[in-house]
Amino acid sequence: MITIKNEYLPEKMKPIRFRMETDDTYTIVFSKRTMSHAGQFYMLSVDGVGESPISVASGFGNPLTFSIKAVGSVTKYIMDHRDSAIGLRGPYGNTWPWKGADHIVAIAGGIGIPPIKALIEDMESEGNLSDLTVLYGARSPKDIVYKNEIEAWKKELDFRITVDNGDPSWKGNVGVVTTLIPGVERFKNGSAFVIGPPIMMKFSVQELIKHGFSPENIYLSLERRMECGIGVCGHCNIGQWYVCESGPIFRYSDVMNEPEVFL
Amino acid sequence: MTLTICPYCGTGCQIEVDYSGDHYTVHGYTRSVVNEGKLCIKGYQGLSYAGSRDRITSPMIRRGDVWTEVSWDEALDYVARRLTEIRDKYGPDSIAFQASAKCTNEENYLIQKIARMMGTNNVDHCARSCHSSTVAGLIRTLGTAAATGSIRSLKSTETFFVIGSNTTEQHPIIGTTIIRQKKAGKKLIVADPRRTKLASIADVFLQFRPGSDVALLNSMMFVILKKNLIDSEFIRTRTTDFDVFAAEIEKYPPEVTEQITGVSPDLVEKAAELYAGNRPSAILYGMGITQHIHGTENVMSVSNLALMTGNIGRYGSGIFPLRGQNNVQGSSDMGALSEFYPGYIPADSDGVERFEKIWDAKLPKNIGLMLSEMFDAAIDGRVKAIYLMGENPVITEANLSDVEKGLTNLDLFVVQDIFMTETAKFAHVILPASSALEKDGTFTNTERRIQRVVAVKDPPGDAKPDWWILSQLYSRLFHREAYRSPEEIFNEIRVAIPNYSGAKYENLYPDGKQWPINDQHPEGTEILHVDRFTRGLGRFMAIPYKPPSETPDDQYPFILTTGRNYYHWHSGTMTRRSDILERESPNPYVEISVNDAKKLSIRNGQIITVESRHGSIRLPAMVTSKIPDGIVFVPFHFKEARVNLLVGENLDPYSKIPEFKVVAVRVIA
Amino acid sequence: MIYELTEEDMWRLLQKIAEEYDVFGSKEELGEVVFSKISSFSEVSEKKSSYSPKDFLIKRSENILEIPRAEKKAVIGVKSCDLRGFYLMDLQILNKDPFYTVRRQNTLFINFVCTEMCPGGFCTSFGGPVLDDYDIQVLHIGQSYFVEADPRYERYLAGFRPASDQDVFVKHSKEFNRKYGKIELNGIEKRMKWSSKLWTEFANYCISCGACNYSCPTCYCIDVYDDETGRKKEWDSCILEGFTKTAAGNVRPDLSDRLRQRFYHKFKYYKLSKGEYLCTGCNRCVDDCPVDIDIKEVITHDYDKE
Repeated sequence: MITIKNEYLPEKMKPIRFRMETDDTYTIVFSKRTMSHAGQFYMLSVDGVGESPISVASGFGNPLTFSIKAVGSVTKYIMDHRDSAIGLRGPYGNTWPWKGADHIVAIAGGIGIPPIKALIEDMESEGNLSDLTVLYGARSPKDIVYKNEIEAWKKELDFRITVDNGDPSWKGNVGVVTTLIPGVERFKNGSAFVIGPPIMMKFSVQELIKHGFSPENIYLSLERRMECGIGVCGHCNIGQWYVCESGPIFRYSDVMNEPEVFL
Repeated sequence: MTLTICPYCGTGCQIEVDYSGDHYTVHGYTRSVVNEGKLCIKGYQGLSYAGSRDRITSPMIRRGDVWTEVSWDEALDYVARRLTEIRDKYGPDSIAFQASAKCTNEENYLIQKIARMMGTNNVDHCARSCHSSTVAGLIRTLGTAAATGSIRSLKSTETFFVIGSNTTEQHPIIGTTIIRQKKAGKKLIVADPRRTKLASIADVFLQFRPGSDVALLNSMMFVILKKNLIDSEFIRTRTTDFDVFAAEIEKYPPEVTEQITGVSPDLVEKAAELYAGNRPSAILYGMGITQHIHGTENVMSVSNLALMTGNIGRYGSGIFPLRGQNNVQGSSDMGALSEFYPGYIPADSDGVERFEKIWDAKLPKNIGLMLSEMFDAAIDGRVKAIYLMGENPVITEANLSDVEKGLTNLDLFVVQDIFMTETAKFAHVILPASSALEKDGTFTNTERRIQRVVAVKDPPGDAKPDWWILSQLYSRLFHREAYRSPEEIFNEIRVAIPNYSGAKYENLYPDGKQWPINDQHPEGTEILHVDRFTRGLGRFMAIPYKPPSETPDDQYPFILTTGRNYYHWHSGTMTRRSDILERESPNPYVEISVNDAKKLSIRNGQIITVESRHGSIRLPAMVTSKIPDGIVFVPFHFKEARVNLLVGENLDPYSKIPEFKVVAVRVIA
Repeated sequence: MIYELTEEDMWRLLQKIAEEYDVFGSKEELGEVVFSKISSFSEVSEKKSSYSPKDFLIKRSENILEIPRAEKKAVIGVKSCDLRGFYLMDLQILNKDPFYTVRRQNTLFINFVCTEMCPGGFCTSFGGPVLDDYDIQVLHIGQSYFVEADPRYERYLAGFRPASDQDVFVKHSKEFNRKYGKIELNGIEKRMKWSSKLWTEFANYCISCGACNYSCPTCYCIDVYDDETGRKKEWDSCILEGFTKTAAGNVRPDLSDRLRQRFYHKFKYYKLSKGEYLCTGCNRCVDDCPVDIDIKEVITHDYDKE
């Protein structure tokens, strides 16, 4: 009988901190050090419920953090059972290619913001935050994630925020996140990182190209149903790639002719 | 790999299975004349239930709210004693038995024998809710209530007429036989309120209103009469009562029936011309025909259509009632029905004397309680004990609130099943039984083919094959020797039922044989009614159209029609334990048309209320173009939204089948 | 080195292998050719098995939280098309899925090269019937069994007589190709059209049984899920609706989308990603499809004419 190491076995641990960000989004922090770089993800699991791919929301070396929207059985379970042990395996996937870029405009829609938080932390420790502009679009003021961190970020880097729909207390920009893109045209020779719901990514890319950004410098973070995270189960296949192996970060010029890219 | 039969639908596909622990592999049997190596997704993905941890592994008795595990001896002694006590105190008709269309012929034969030897004809099962109309209808018109041809003979059919059957979802491998023939250039007519897959590839699609089957069929027959497309020779030599039937048909020109059916006259004409002119033609039908208060009359209309065009008895033609369960044909043949002894001998006739000789016992000669009546009788105390095998009426029967009321009122409720179903929760005694993969026996599929079931694995824990449980009970009740094997029971069936007399375990494996199988037909009978009908001459019946029991009005403006979907089976106890099948269809839903959804401001996925005079459920909406305006469809697989709460107890007078297919409802966003 | 063995030699070869491996073979049972444990060479059937021996490598379902383990198994009577499929799957999942990997490393496949094309088969389009990558490859002509082994297994052939004709496999391949011809792929990965009517036509008939995926020796996709016994993986089918469904929606909502995905993955995506078409021409998907959807039509269809 021959045996072999099992990549599917998760490491189990309980979060040391739990915080509700909005009605349906929460952040969990583990005492484990982040061994991944911005853009990568882990497979989080709850025994008996299932596994779910979640992007890492912390920079290299910081306590491992995830910010999760409760939409499926696993993500809802963790929110309702804060004391449960969570299985972790990873990190998987590739990273935002920020090193060496002149300037980066990172555009995050909705629940796309966590890997951008990881990017901010990575660039803060290993690079220069003055090379980064972040555009963040949330549905409404109460859907804003990282409300506390954002106040600090506004001071440390060029962080611009907008909401689709305002409310009486909101004094900031109102409009979808693409409305902020004309305002960053001067960075068109740099890179753009786009992450969010597919339709938001589609219109953001259109707008970026309209304002002179080059498809070779635009990067998307794609999301698909993922079950193994290691290039075996086939569910995350798009074109000749598996999102878990060749992504989730893709250069737009590589995938622009894939009909399924913005689905 | 063990060769056995798929436990799902009446197609009876042959499968090769290897089962170890809770993992299995399965392939279709390439040489099978039934499925030629093909399987549907339930065959491939649906066998994991047998290895589920939820299986009941020990007999249990409930006292109050506490379940206690007991030994087989204790459980069987208790059941035998209590049944006898209740019978002696309240009379034999205070006991009722529910057989199982999923269990083998041997098991169904044994349970009806037990019932009758106890002195009651109160033995019935879910066939009542499914093809009882077929039994009542075709026995009257042809003499035999079963498919007249074989699945293989469909390859010679020129025109297929599918009515009231979503064949590619319910009998997928028969549905695909039709698709392959259609691809080869044959003609297909589909009559269904919903745009099913077969409807979308049909040459003629008759999208008619639920409950208007007789009007539709009569209007087709009108066209056939007027265009003289009848087979006069066949009518003259092989049938009777044509004239009184033709007089009724005169009243149904398609221009008039259009108001009732919603189908335009030119479509009716096209369909009629194809069916009558492009022969041989086969009619395949399912619950859409049978589950109505006019179910029996619907079946007889189907029979009329085939008779007037000479489309019976010839290879490639025929009437194919698509029997639902894997062994509902067999369980009906075995007489697990309150109006028939084995072999369809009427329970209130002298034919019963035959069984008194074979079984050496005095037997009751009356019509017993039918399934739906058993629950009513339990409510008013006429029935004090029910012994139920392999059924889940708390989900699958009509008028569910009465079913539950009845079950709670029993002195003794014994459930013999493999899982703790919603019904089993009401039981006083639970006897853990075996799945179809854990016993030997025979199933009879929808083309009358008796096929061998072979055990692939052992039942878990202390669970036992159903035939063993019944045999042990039989021996305790009547102080006779228990049967030692299913083959011993089958050899008695061969004596009891002439149509099965030539069948032996040796000649049914690996290829099953279609009954009648006897000295005249030692290899079985592929086509029935070739020279004469079982009753002699085929009989035409004059069937006037009458509306369904419930019609839409201001209070309840929609028609609800219930049914199944491809991924799940009935109450879901088997399929909902398969990961892939549950992933494909995880939630209950109500299909509603795009226009209706817009009018009521209902989004896809929104939870809405569907309510009838009898009950109410809340479930997500599925907005689809498959269904016409004014009609909603809900599958009955989901215990979270038991649609049969909404179905009342409007019964067909002959077959006592509830009208599952037409319920007046309102939809509230 | 190609060796020429007699029937008795094949017995002895199997015995040698049986010292280290549990030996399974293709065997005829009730008219079906299935894979079973065998104890002698005479039990081996050279007919094409009714199903691919894929489940020696990817179990239909198993618990992935258990230790991946394998016993050494030898399987004789596998067809070239099935074995080639495993070499193709290796390109994607070997050394990634531990369960596949440990079994692949410990299963010895002995394939029999076909001397006749099976009905509907088109292995010649993919280099068949003689494989370039194999464990132990056998060609049975007349009374002789010509056998060649990969260096990993060369030791089992020590002591047998080398064949006088060292080109016998090459000659057989030429003759087979001449006799049966081949369906030209003609750059199918560039020819296929996203909006072709072919996908909708297939979807009109397809009943989503998944037989094409389950029977295919190159289909490796699995569903990973939790149940009360642990975390399981089991054979999945990309033509099913739930394959790409998430809480956010479904990237392939229609059956035609999913059928197209299956063929694109086989004939385009894998070619671009791994340099090989993910098909071996075994025709099993056509044999098992209840509505006769034929993958060859995807290759021969005239996409430009639409």
